[in-house]
Amino acid sequence: MRVRNEEKVQLVKQKAMEMVVSDGFEGFSVNKLARACGISVATLYIYYKDKDDLITEIALEEAKRMGEITLGDFDPELSFAEGLRKQWENRSRYILENPVASAFFEQLRTSTYQDKVMECIICDFKAKMGTFMQKAIKNKEVDAMPLEVYWSVAYAPLYSLLRFHHEGRSLGGKPFVLNEDIMWRTFDLVVKALTPSK
Amino acid sequence: MNTENILLFKSNIKTASDKFAVERILDIHPHIEQWTVDQQDEDCILRVISPRLTHNHVIDMVRGCGYHCEELKD
Repeated sequence: MRVRNEEKVQLVKQKAMEMVVSDGFEGFSVNKLARACGISVATLYIYYKDKDDLITEIALEEAKRMGEITLGDFDPELSFAEGLRKQWENRSRYILENPVASAFFEQLRTSTYQDKVMECIICDFKAKMGTFMQKAIKNKEVDAMPLEVYWSVAYAPLYSLLRFHHEGRSLGGKPFVLNEDIMWRTFDLVVKALTPSK
Repeated sequence: MNTENILLFKSNIKTASDKFAVERILDIHPHIEQWTVDQQDEDCILRVISPRLTHNHVIDMVRGCGYHCEELKD
């Protein structure tokens, strides 16, 4: 029996995400992936049924890891501002440390793989963030509002900054590097915007 | 997962109707636990899970349906 070599498994995962990011889902093939990893096509087909299975499994595995990093040390009992700050810390850390995986998820969002994978991500988030938000609303730390409104204020600014950072430029092509000062200044404005007026 | 039970082949089972043609044989075979064909791959890799069958058994079956089938070597 073939022995599953963890190093190879991680290499396959990393290369697969890189290929999807550079060539898109259409340009991705199991053959090309095998060549890029220096392993046989047969080895890949032993572990994955087909291209869709391979992409889905890799995405699910990475989504699980992202969930662990984002939610792992998140305490739903924190105050609203502290909890949101922790989320900003965790999410920015994951994205900054995992640029390929983050770009891979961006591609996934507009693909046919989206439903299967997002279902897994959202499920974990719903449980923990649901408790956190209900408590914050009950304590009048934030008003109840549609999820889309909340997300657009609470997290979209962070993702905009991270996008500028990855592209190395902001509006009008101005060079940009994200630093702590810019991030937390933006965060303070987000908390201000979400704090109910007395 | 017992990887020894996984048999892999290159084929030309390209389209939905090609798949339908081999489905009639592979679906009802008592020694085939599961089979899939990657129709997005240039070699249309056929993957058969069977604790009993050999590569040659499957090659005969698929060729009997009029399709190309050869073992995918490691």
